[in-house]
Amino acid sequence: MSFAPVRAERLIGEGVVAIALVAWWASARRLPEFILPGPLPVLRRLIELWLNPEFLWNAFASTWRVLVSIALALLIGGALAILAHGVPSMTAVVDARIKPVLNSFPSIGWAILAAIWFEPGDFGVIFVEVAILIPFCLINLAEGLRNLDRELIEMGRSFTRAQVRIFWRLTLPLLVPYGLSATRIAYGVAWKIALVAELLGAPTGVGYLMLRAQTAADSTTFLAICFAIVLIFMAGERLVVVPLERRFAHR
Amino acid sequence: MAVTGAALAHARWRGIGSQRLAAHLFTAAFLALWEAASLFTPSYLIPGPVLVATRLAIFVTSWRDLGHLGASLFHVASAIAISFAMGSLLAFAAYYAPLLRFAIERRIGPVLNSFSAIGWTLLSIMWFGVTPVTVIFAISAVLVPFALVNMSAGLGNIDREIIEMAQSFTRRRVPMLALVILPSLYPFIFATLRIMFGVSWKVTLTAELFGGNAGLGYMINLARQEFDTTTIFAAIIIIIAFVHGMDHYVLGPMQAKVSRHYAS
Repeated sequence: MSFAPVRAERLIGEGVVAIALVAWWASARRLPEFILPGPLPVLRRLIELWLNPEFLWNAFASTWRVLVSIALALLIGGALAILAHGVPSMTAVVDARIKPVLNSFPSIGWAILAAIWFEPGDFGVIFVEVAILIPFCLINLAEGLRNLDRELIEMGRSFTRAQVRIFWRLTLPLLVPYGLSATRIAYGVAWKIALVAELLGAPTGVGYLMLRAQTAADSTTFLAICFAIVLIFMAGERLVVVPLERRFAHR
Repeated sequence: MAVTGAALAHARWRGIGSQRLAAHLFTAAFLALWEAASLFTPSYLIPGPVLVATRLAIFVTSWRDLGHLGASLFHVASAIAISFAMGSLLAFAAYYAPLLRFAIERRIGPVLNSFSAIGWTLLSIMWFGVTPVTVIFAISAVLVPFALVNMSAGLGNIDREIIEMAQSFTRRRVPMLALVILPSLYPFIFATLRIMFGVSWKVTLTAELFGGNAGLGYMINLARQEFDTTTIFAAIIIIIAFVHGMDHYVLGPMQAKVSRHYAS
C-alpha cells in the first residue's frame, strides 16, 4: 500500500528536476551566453573542471582550509564553552561579551580586516573561516555542556576525584553528539558563507576561481564552479559527516 | 533558616557581582589591549578606540551614513519577507500535498541549501547588475532553505490529536488553518524569523559589497578602497550593536513570550 505513493512521489520529484532543467534550457536559448548559458555547456564545463588539474588543485586548497578551520573552530569554541562552564566568574565574559560579539560580527568584516592585516594566502583565509565558525561551535558545545547528565557526573565523582579523568571519560564522550552537530553546521556554513574569505584574500581556492570567472563574464565556468561546490559539499557530507554521526551519535 | 536564606542570597549576589565584574574587567582589558596595539601599528591597520569612537559619533549624526544603515535594513527586511513567504509556501505545499514532499524535501531543498551565498551574489550581479534587486535576490535565495527547513519542522511538530479534535468540529480547511495550524506554528515562526535575521546580516553585507549601490556593505567597500579602516571598524561596531541589540532586546523576549503563550 505504501509502495505506490512513494513511487509517485519520487516520479514527481525527478519530474520537478526535469522541468527545471527544461525551463533553464528554454530560457537560456533566448538569452546571451554571458547572462545564462544553457545546461549542456555548463555540464560539459563541469566535467572538464574535474579533469582539469588546476581546478582540482584549487578545490583541494579550499577543502583543506575548510577542514583545518572546522577543527580549529571546534577546539577554540570548545575551549571557550568549557571555560564558561568550568570557571563561574568567566561565564559572563564568554556569554555576555565574547559570544554576542563573535555571533553578530559580519563575515565580510572579518574578510576585509584579514585582507588589510595579512598577506593573501592560507593564513588569512583560515583566520577568517575560523572567526566565522567559532560562534556556531561555541553555541552548540555550550548547549551540550548545559545538558550534561548531572547524575552520571556525580556517579563518576563517587569513583574518582580526579577532574581530568572525569573530563576524559565522561564529559568528553557526553559532548560528542553536540560536537557532531556543531561539525555539521560548521561544515555547511564553511562552504556557503565562509568561502567569501577566498574572494578577498587568496590567490588560490574555488572562491578565487569563482571571482575570476565572474570578472571575466565567463558565466559557463562560473555556474560550473557553483555546481562543483554543491557536489564537493554533498560528497563531504555523505562521505564524512553522515558516517561520523552514524558511528558516534548513539553512544 | 532566615540566616541561611540571607547567606545564600548574599553568596548568589556575590556570584553574579563577580561575574559582572569579570565581564567589565574583560571589556576594559580588551580596550586597553586595542589601544596598546593601535599605538604600535599605523592607523590604517588598527585605528585606536578613540578614533573609532569619534567616527561612531559622526556616524550616528550623519544622514548619509544613517542612510546606508537604512538601505541595509530595507534590504534585510524585504529579503526576509520574500524568503519567509517562499519557504513557508514550499513547506505548506509539502504538508498539504504529500505527493510533492519528495520533490520539495529531497530535491529543491538540498539544492537550495548547498548553493553557496557567494554563488548567488555573483550570479545575481550578472543578471540584474549593481542594484538593490541584486542584493535582495541574493539574500532571499540564501534564506529560503532556512525558512523551508524550520517551517517544515514546525508543521511536522503539530500535535496530531489537536488536529483530530478540530476535525471533529469542522471539515473546512480555512478555519482549521487560521484557528489551529497557524497558532501552533507561532513559536516556530518566531524562531525562524530570528534565525533568518541573524543569517541575513551575515549575507547582506557580502551582497552589498559586491553588488550594491547603497548599504553598510557598500560603505565598507568604499572605505576599503580608501584604506579608511576607521570607518570599517565603526561600521562593524554599528552592525554588531544593532544585530545583537535586536536579537537580545526585541526578538528574544518576543519569542520567549510567544513560546510561553502557545507552548502546550
